[in-house]
Amino acid sequence: MWEIAGTKLQSRLMIGTARYPSPEIMQKAIEASGAEIVTVSLRRQGSQPGAQNVFWDILRSMPVKLLPNTAGCHSVKEAVATAQMARELFGTNWIKLEVIGDDYNLQPDPFGTVEAAKILTDDGFEVFPYMTDDLVLAERLLDAGCKMLMPWAAPIGSGLGIINPMALKTIRQRFPGVPVIVDAGLGKPSHAALAMEMGFDGVLLNTAVAMAEDPVKMAQAFAQAINAGRLGYEAGLMPSRDFATPSTPVVGTPFWHENR
Amino acid sequence: MSQTKGTVGIAGAGILGRLIACYCLEDGWNVTIFDEGAESPCPMAGITAAGAAAQKCGSGGCPSPSYVAAGMLAPYCEMRYDEPIVPRLGRESLDMWSDIIKKVGGDVFSQRAGSLVVVHQQDKNEFLRLKHMVETFTKEPVMEHVKGAALRELEPEIDPRITEGLYFPLEGQVDSRGMMAALGSHLRKSGAELNFNTKVTSIEPNKITTLFGSFDFDWALDCRGMGAKADLKGLRGVRGEIIIVHAPDVNLNRPVRLMHPRYPLYIVPRPNHDYVVGATSIESEDLSEISVRGALELLSALYSLHTGFSEARIIETATQLRPALMDNSPKIFHGKGLCRINGLYRHGYLISPKIARLVASYLSEGKAESGYEALFETAGK
Repeated sequence: MWEIAGTKLQSRLMIGTARYPSPEIMQKAIEASGAEIVTVSLRRQGSQPGAQNVFWDILRSMPVKLLPNTAGCHSVKEAVATAQMARELFGTNWIKLEVIGDDYNLQPDPFGTVEAAKILTDDGFEVFPYMTDDLVLAERLLDAGCKMLMPWAAPIGSGLGIINPMALKTIRQRFPGVPVIVDAGLGKPSHAALAMEMGFDGVLLNTAVAMAEDPVKMAQAFAQAINAGRLGYEAGLMPSRDFATPSTPVVGTPFWHENR
Repeated sequence: MSQTKGTVGIAGAGILGRLIACYCLEDGWNVTIFDEGAESPCPMAGITAAGAAAQKCGSGGCPSPSYVAAGMLAPYCEMRYDEPIVPRLGRESLDMWSDIIKKVGGDVFSQRAGSLVVVHQQDKNEFLRLKHMVETFTKEPVMEHVKGAALRELEPEIDPRITEGLYFPLEGQVDSRGMMAALGSHLRKSGAELNFNTKVTSIEPNKITTLFGSFDFDWALDCRGMGAKADLKGLRGVRGEIIIVHAPDVNLNRPVRLMHPRYPLYIVPRPNHDYVVGATSIESEDLSEISVRGALELLSALYSLHTGFSEARIIETATQLRPALMDNSPKIFHGKGLCRINGLYRHGYLISPKIARLVASYLSEGKAESGYEALFETAGK
């Protein structure tokens, strides 16, 4: 059990809802992942008020906690308005804040994210801020009232895994009591296991599962990797070193001199 | 008609309803069609989505997807890892289209000059993913990886920064509006009764009820797409936006699909330098006009492919809802005296001929064609 935003959770995997081959496969993949928090985009699936959104109805019917996001918002104003709309539509004060700074690789705008985070936390939102892996940015977001951090591993959808382990490690070490979720850029289960071994509280995934040849199986693979990584972290990893240390002592091994 | 097997009533005169009617007539049935929309709801270029919607054509007050569709016949470009049935239906339909075009006559524009998938370097992974998928699922040689001069030979004018593509020589296209009109005339000539501006209020086994009365048939077929929403659990509309431009400076020989990390975008040439660019894919039943974001994405795709599009004129924009089931695959829900065919999603033109043939054969033989049983589901399940 762990806790984020006052909610106790079993699973450390959060999952997105974009780019699956079909809603049916999405549903099965979410079930297979065991995720209890599922993100949903308002802008990308934008509707005029009053238009029916069956896709949202499907998500609402699932036994998961929905985390609306502001993906696709390019300005503070847009992100704040989207968060307010999400609060009404989904009846939650949770918001995954994304303020996009670069339209092509969807890199978040650190300045806009901090500004929007301040406005939203003042307005009673529980802000899950999507951010680059910058230490100072992390500090500013916490100052703005965020109670957690969501640094990227790599640009969204890139599948590159953790491209700057040093930066992420620093964030982890500097904010030991703050839940930190690695969000975006993971491609393989091993990437997620690594993030968990580094002591992060959870992982948020979408493309790596949705675009897999078999999304349902990939969701299971990530769930297992995340469990394994977390267990590894809790078990305490042995310190690594640059040369071999045999687990069986060589001295006393019969015929050891034959290998000379 | 010298002999008749019985009577078939079809609700919905979209591309699927018309093709089913066509095959049923050939098999010896008497056919009656009902549709809420006008016979020619989208009278060619120059109309906006808002204008078209105001005409209340098609079911649900939108321009029927059958008129808005680009008419790409591209089974391989549309492949998915989990869904081999659509490419298979599409592959069989490709050859059937040639026969249909011959049959309906007229001068419907169509071609089998293949289609080309291209990519900007930064999106190469999407391109490799499609290539891998096609190689995994097809045994026949349906795809050529073309680079440099070979690519230029196919499409001399596309942006020089695009240096490679996937060429699918078997694929083609058909002009959707021309085909809808030609099929309409063909059906009339062949003895079908066509009732436009006739809203269907209910479909039951052996019976179709409209605002003007109830009609009994040996088979009632529901081909209303989104119009069947109240009767089909799990049916949803997926918003798609398209733009048609007139671009005298551009000469593309065949449909070109541009790989993009978020949408597969296609640019489909029509006669006289008109080009259809589409389509966004948005999980919402919002039928309002094209959004600025949608327009920017579509137009950027055009411009990135050929700078000659900068001086093109936008002659039409349209929004439609594609009817999709939960697995995004088509289904034939069958029962005694009633079949509902739905969920053709983005693939109406691609797969309608084969689906129509399967439905017509089912009516005559009472069972699904071998190998296609998975498409059939007992109604009410």
